[in-house]
Amino acid sequence: MKVKLELYGASRDLSKKSFIEFNIEGKSSIKDLKKKIINYVDSNFKGNNNFKKIVEASAFCSEDNNIISDNYIINKDQKIGIIPPIGGG
Amino acid sequence: MLHTKIIDLTKESIRPEDAEEFIASSKFGASIVFYGTVRENNENKKVTGITYDAHNEMVVKSFKEIYNEVDEKLKIKSKAVFIEHVKGYVGLGEVSIIIAVACPHRAEAYTLSRYIIEEIKKRSPIWKKEHYQNEESEWLKGNPIQAN
Repeated sequence: MKVKLELYGASRDLSKKSFIEFNIEGKSSIKDLKKKIINYVDSNFKGNNNFKKIVEASAFCSEDNNIISDNYIINKDQKIGIIPPIGGG
Repeated sequence: MLHTKIIDLTKESIRPEDAEEFIASSKFGASIVFYGTVRENNENKKVTGITYDAHNEMVVKSFKEIYNEVDEKLKIKSKAVFIEHVKGYVGLGEVSIIIAVACPHRAEAYTLSRYIIEEIKKRSPIWKKEHYQNEESEWLKGNPIQAN
C-alpha cells in the first residue's frame, strides 16, 4: 500500500516536495508509519536528531481531517498529514 | 453568525474592512477587533518577517468547533464572529490574523475575543517560520496539538 505523507510546518524540511510517499505493509499502524519516517530521516539526513524529534512530537491526521492515534490502522492507499507542534495566531 | 477563512497571500490580502462589515449590526452594543501582527523581536533575535503555514481544512474545522462550543462553555448565545488567518509571508507590522467579535454587551465581547485566540493557539494547525536579519530562518517550536 502507498501512503502519501503530506508535510506541514517544520516537517516541510524533510523534502523539497510538499509530500513524501511510503510503501507500507498491510495492516500497518501510524506507529509503524512513524518508524518508516524515522528510517527515511536516517537514510536521507544522516539521522538528523532535530528532524527525528519533530517526527516524534507530531500528531497525524486522516484524509477526513481528524487527528488519528498511533493505533490507527492504514488499510488502503491514502493521504496522511503530519502535524508538527503548532504555534500560529 | 460566523465567518472563517484562510487567506493565501499569494492570491489575496487580508482586509480589516471585511471584518468590520461582517460584525456590524444594531443588535450588538460591543465590538472588538483583534489583530495579530508580526513584531520585530523574538527571544532577542531581530525578526524581519514570518512565513505562516496551515492545514487549511483542519484550521477552518477548528475555528468552527471553537465557535460552536462557545454557547455551552461561555453561555454567549447572541454573537457575530469573524476569523481570518493568513498563509504565506508576512512582513513586520503586517497582520497575520483578525478576530472580530460583536455581542450585546462588552463583558461577553472581551471574554469571547480572548477565548477564541487562546483556543486557536492550542488547537489550530498553524505554523510559523521566522526570518531574521542575519538571513537565517527557523520554524518555531510550538506545542503538540491537542485532539478533541
